[in-house]
Amino acid sequence: MIKVKNVKKSFGKNVVLKDVSLSVKPQEVVVIMGASGSGKSTLLRCLNGLEKVDSGEIYINNVEVTHNKTNLNLVRRETGMVFQHFNLFANLNVLQNITIGPRKVLNEPEEKANKKAMELLKKVGLEEKSTNYPDQLSGGQQQRVAIARALAMDPVVMLFDEPTSALDPEMVGEVLDVMRNLAKEGMTMIVVTHEMGFAREVGDRVIFIDDGLVVEEGPPQEIFTNPTQERTKLFISKIL
Amino acid sequence: MSNSFNVIWQNAPQLIYGAKLTLFYSLAVIAISTVLGLIFALLKISHRPVLKKIGEGYVSVFRGLPLLVEIFYVYFALPMILPLHKWFDPYFTPIAGILALSLNESAYITEIIRAGILSINKGQTEAAYSIGMTKYQTMRYIILPQAFKRMIPPIVNQFIQTIKDTSLLSVISISELTRQGQLIISTTFQSLQIWTAVAVLYLVMIYTLTGISGYLERRFKIDKS
Ligand SMILES: Nc1ncnc2c1ncn2[C@@H]1O[C@H](COP(=O)(O)OP(=O)(O)OP(=O)(O)O)[C@@H](O)[C@H]1O
Ligand SMILES: [Mg+2]
Repeated sequence: MIKVKNVKKSFGKNVVLKDVSLSVKPQEVVVIMGASGSGKSTLLRCLNGLEKVDSGEIYINNVEVTHNKTNLNLVRRETGMVFQHFNLFANLNVLQNITIGPRKVLNEPEEKANKKAMELLKKVGLEEKSTNYPDQLSGGQQQRVAIARALAMDPVVMLFDEPTSALDPEMVGEVLDVMRNLAKEGMTMIVVTHEMGFAREVGDRVIFIDDGLVVEEGPPQEIFTNPTQERTKLFISKIL
Repeated sequence: MSNSFNVIWQNAPQLIYGAKLTLFYSLAVIAISTVLGLIFALLKISHRPVLKKIGEGYVSVFRGLPLLVEIFYVYFALPMILPLHKWFDPYFTPIAGILALSLNESAYITEIIRAGILSINKGQTEAAYSIGMTKYQTMRYIILPQAFKRMIPPIVNQFIQTIKDTSLLSVISISELTRQGQLIISTTFQSLQIWTAVAVLYLVMIYTLTGISGYLERRFKIDKS
């Protein structure tokens, strides 16, 4: 479903991804962990082409994202992304945030897009907020709208980049609940997070990244209870 | 004092005519330079070096020269290379005036629009790209609407500047308000009265614009950030 082969990426002299390979199966929930600056966000951003790789290949649904003839707009329709800072469109209300993609990118009629958006809002528990603007919502509510916005494009995979780390602690739960339900429905997900509880409960596999390399990967129970690598041990002891 | 009023009333038709021309030139220049400003702002923020250079060059040339020199250049110098005065006869003078002013004002507007676009958080662009929007769609539906709000105050300032700058068109014999004032004074010799009337007319136009701007700012709930 998703294949990453020998991806390298530098910013100037700063080598961020040294040589990353991994694959994700349909309906799998992969949790990516690693210290700050280890390249987790960069990896996710390479997956939907927000960053260009220096070398290596990335395939999503058999389409090579990294090929320079690939239309990235088409790839991105199928790849939902949820950002740490939500990035809801500030000039649009909640409903418009969700419908703008289907309407302008997929050319869906307004009625159809609105209907789907209301269903998604119901799913994330925010039906009554459809006419509010982003700055009138709490962080947790904004993030749930952001998830709905990504889902409105019917993506084949959802990428989450620390979706709860900008939230007040009392709002983390409501966002994780939405993600948990998505996983249950069989959505393929790649989640960068420090939420151990979520990783344990929902994650099928944890990938630990350090210094631009995949250091260790495996089922959450194993990684968390019996890490084999020193660096993994150190990291886990810090976030526990 | 009754004399002063008289000279103003007697020449009111010319003064009003001049004010109308000032308004006409201002609006034409504002419209043209807003379009040019948007185009060159987009060039300036382009990632393609050639386009970027074109945008940068445009701004440095037309913002770098005194407006009066630009007017003289378009009106006197350019026809030496291109027979514009023949092509556009008998409209060459107004066209030269509008062109010279538009080049200058649009250089400033380019900078205002560019700054407005760049002031929008990068996350907005990334979110738009992440749902598959094209660059054009992202600009059109996400970035420009947000940038527009922030641009209203500086752009209205620039429009006010434009109204004032049209007075320089008097040097190429365009009968706008300032030129009308000069003409009236050359026959009536009533400097104080006529220049006062001219000044009041400029202020009326500018205060009207300020009023519209205040309305727009309230209408669009300008964020103070
Ligand atoms: N656009 C960029 N230009 C230059 N350097 C960048 C850019 N984006 C990321 N970097 C650098 O790449 C490195 C990895 O960044 P990245 O954001 O991928 O780390 P991360 O693992 O997501 O960290 P965090 O947990 O803090 O989010 C950092 O050193 C960062 O400064
Ligand atoms: Mg990050």
